[in-house]
Amino acid sequence: MGERPVTHARRLTLAHLWVAFAAFAVAAVLGVWQMWARSPLPAPYLTAQAYFTSVTAHGVSMAYVLTTFMVMGFGYYVAETALGRPLPLPRLAWLGFALGIIGSVMAAVTIFAGNATVLFTFYPPLTASPFFYIGLVLVVVGSWIWCGLMLWAMLDFKRANPGVPVPLAMFATVANAVMWLWTTVGVAAELLFQVIPAAFGWNEAVDVGLSRTLFSWTLHAIVYFWLVPAYIAFYTMAPQAAGGRLYSDTMGRLTFILFLIYSLPVGMHHLFMDPQQSSAFKFLQMSFTALVAAPTLLTVFTISASMEIAGRLRGGRGYFGWIAALPWERPMVLATGMAFFMLWFGGGGGLINMSFGMNAMVHNTSWVTAHFHLIFGGTVVIMYFAIAYAIWPTLTNRMPVSLRHQRLQLWLWFIGMMVMTLPWHYLGLQGQWRRVATFNYSDPIIAGWGPWVIVSLVGGIILLASALLFVWNLLEFHRAGAVVATGLRPLYALAVHPPERVPAALNGFALWNVLVLVLMIAAYGYPIAQFFIIDAPEAIVHRVYGGG
Amino acid sequence: MKPAELREIDRPWRFWASIIIVSILAFSVVFGFLVLPIVQGRAAGLDAFTAICRAVGILPGSPAVKQPTSEAKAQPTTQVAWSTDLMRSLGQRTQAGAEVAQGCVACHGERGIAADPQNPNLAGQSAAAIYKQLHDYKSKSRVHEVMTGIAQTLNDQQIIDVATHFASSARRDLDPMTGEVVDEDIIRLVERGDPARSLPACNSCHGFNAGGPIETPTLSHQNREYLARQLQAFKTDARRNDIYTRMRSVAVKLTDREIERLATFYATTLSY
Repeated sequence: MGERPVTHARRLTLAHLWVAFAAFAVAAVLGVWQMWARSPLPAPYLTAQAYFTSVTAHGVSMAYVLTTFMVMGFGYYVAETALGRPLPLPRLAWLGFALGIIGSVMAAVTIFAGNATVLFTFYPPLTASPFFYIGLVLVVVGSWIWCGLMLWAMLDFKRANPGVPVPLAMFATVANAVMWLWTTVGVAAELLFQVIPAAFGWNEAVDVGLSRTLFSWTLHAIVYFWLVPAYIAFYTMAPQAAGGRLYSDTMGRLTFILFLIYSLPVGMHHLFMDPQQSSAFKFLQMSFTALVAAPTLLTVFTISASMEIAGRLRGGRGYFGWIAALPWERPMVLATGMAFFMLWFGGGGGLINMSFGMNAMVHNTSWVTAHFHLIFGGTVVIMYFAIAYAIWPTLTNRMPVSLRHQRLQLWLWFIGMMVMTLPWHYLGLQGQWRRVATFNYSDPIIAGWGPWVIVSLVGGIILLASALLFVWNLLEFHRAGAVVATGLRPLYALAVHPPERVPAALNGFALWNVLVLVLMIAAYGYPIAQFFIIDAPEAIVHRVYGGG
Repeated sequence: MKPAELREIDRPWRFWASIIIVSILAFSVVFGFLVLPIVQGRAAGLDAFTAICRAVGILPGSPAVKQPTSEAKAQPTTQVAWSTDLMRSLGQRTQAGAEVAQGCVACHGERGIAADPQNPNLAGQSAAAIYKQLHDYKSKSRVHEVMTGIAQTLNDQQIIDVATHFASSARRDLDPMTGEVVDEDIIRLVERGDPARSLPACNSCHGFNAGGPIETPTLSHQNREYLARQLQAFKTDARRNDIYTRMRSVAVKLTDREIERLATFYATTLSY
């Protein structure tokens, strides 16, 4: 795509991304305080109520606001730049944005008023103020508008260009939109039929087995929803930034299709220790979970190969010489390298979590928290930074003279994340439990954890410094001198063999939706139906706000 | 490219993708639903059919172990079981409550405010809190020379009635002249507990909006002597109707001096 109009997307993308990163900066401050609270060092303002308020705010900001707005904003950007067409129905996109803002503010107000200390994963029968849940539902509804617009934009492109393959970046974005529509069914059902009626007092009891099962439907795929922008950057932006070509466009399409298929019927690996599901269904979903490793391995291979092409074009020789020859001074290349490094550890930890037997070792320990901070906060968020640095010049037509601050920020994030999460994993193996405000460090066993938590806290402080520097760096763009937009290099890499003849299966989602349906019926059909067949015990709703 | 050509290159993709995905599904089903439970069940001495039904979730239990048998008898600390029906009943005040309450006023006061500070104020407590204690007296989970006898004359409905009756009374007003004794150490204990002794904050259950167990009583404006005696009773194991020994495990770590100061704090602090 030679021409890259950034018309509607310019303001839309900037608005979405600024909201995302503002929430991120606030949540980063809270995160450091939480690690401080858990450490042996006396933290200010520490009460259990304050801790769980903070964890809820941190989780909602990082997992719902940062991610959803990032995915939406980046999606609008890709839709215009990769397809080379203006976005259809930009007014609807602004409506989605407005819903997201209203919902986020509602949730934030209820959290900071102390009326929602149920964490971002809800845990019924704990029940917060209904406005907390309604706020989050509004964010999801806003994102559904985005999904519709992404599908619309792709279909519009196909109608106008029959037989032309949808560019990979857009194909991946639509894969994410389709996946998100499937994903949100679980949590939407939980919130609309169970949690919100309970929060309003219409229900006195909640079937916790059912609500946990419905949330598990969402819980793993949502992580891939957050991750797809990072993978889009791996496939389409990183090889270009490195000065090479994408090794295989087909591998990219397959990767995103595999994410769509195998992110959904796998959520029960979050319920291995739960009694309401039987071992056969847990085994079934575990084996599907194992297949999620496939797209990641495909990606590691394809991107390494793409980078090798770039390194050799730049004069790298020998088995490893191409690595040294890569332009590491470019933020996108540097971030990709760091993301892959963290992916090793995070992915390895993930394989342990998803193994039915080994999971028992780490269940409900800090290991799990450390794992998702490393894989999401590390691999994924560092690519969010890289994406922001890559697209901000095209959004603002401005470019700072030096990239030094950007590189420093990425290094700080990388080092901070490793320093924070590796001891945190270790503490999990020592049995440190998660979701608690304080530890009794006078206990001789727990006392040994103290130094490691302090190391994690140091990592957290480095991360906060990086987060603030990131916001500073973005502001630096707005202050920098203007550049001519056409002088900027194209963002998306060409494939070694650019796609010309792409089968419909790799250019759309009809077939894959049918297969997802088959897998979801197999994996979740009876596990959900059983709650309606068997007389399941329910838990009395437990309100943690208002009236006591 | 022509549509016919496109369909031609698409066909093998559709075919093989479906075959591969359905094959993986079939493999997982055969392995997880049949092979594993049969093998595990054999080791545990279960027949194949039972093991498969357990694996699928039609029969309760694990396919890998026999259901353990035990001769141990459960000895619950309380006989109260919270149900939605009970909760609903406790939410509605009835006329009958005032009548039953006539048996209480001599010690607990007309409006649930006891004249003798040895007795607890009932005003300000939730219906669930009062119900729990009366029910425990009736079932002898909690014992008191006077209360046990009184509770045993009441039926469940009367307990509900009287609980809702007193739950509607406003808590005791404190005398602003004597109230508000600021005790920083005790406030820290109430708000933050003492992690060094594994003491949770009192507020983690008793605080406003804390979200503790529903039967958690309100402590503020309660009588000093009564509170101190109850904490001592928990500490010495004389009172044991607290589920999971929640209060006993706390009280045993408190010093006698702290118990006195906590009781004074709750009895005299206005803004709590």
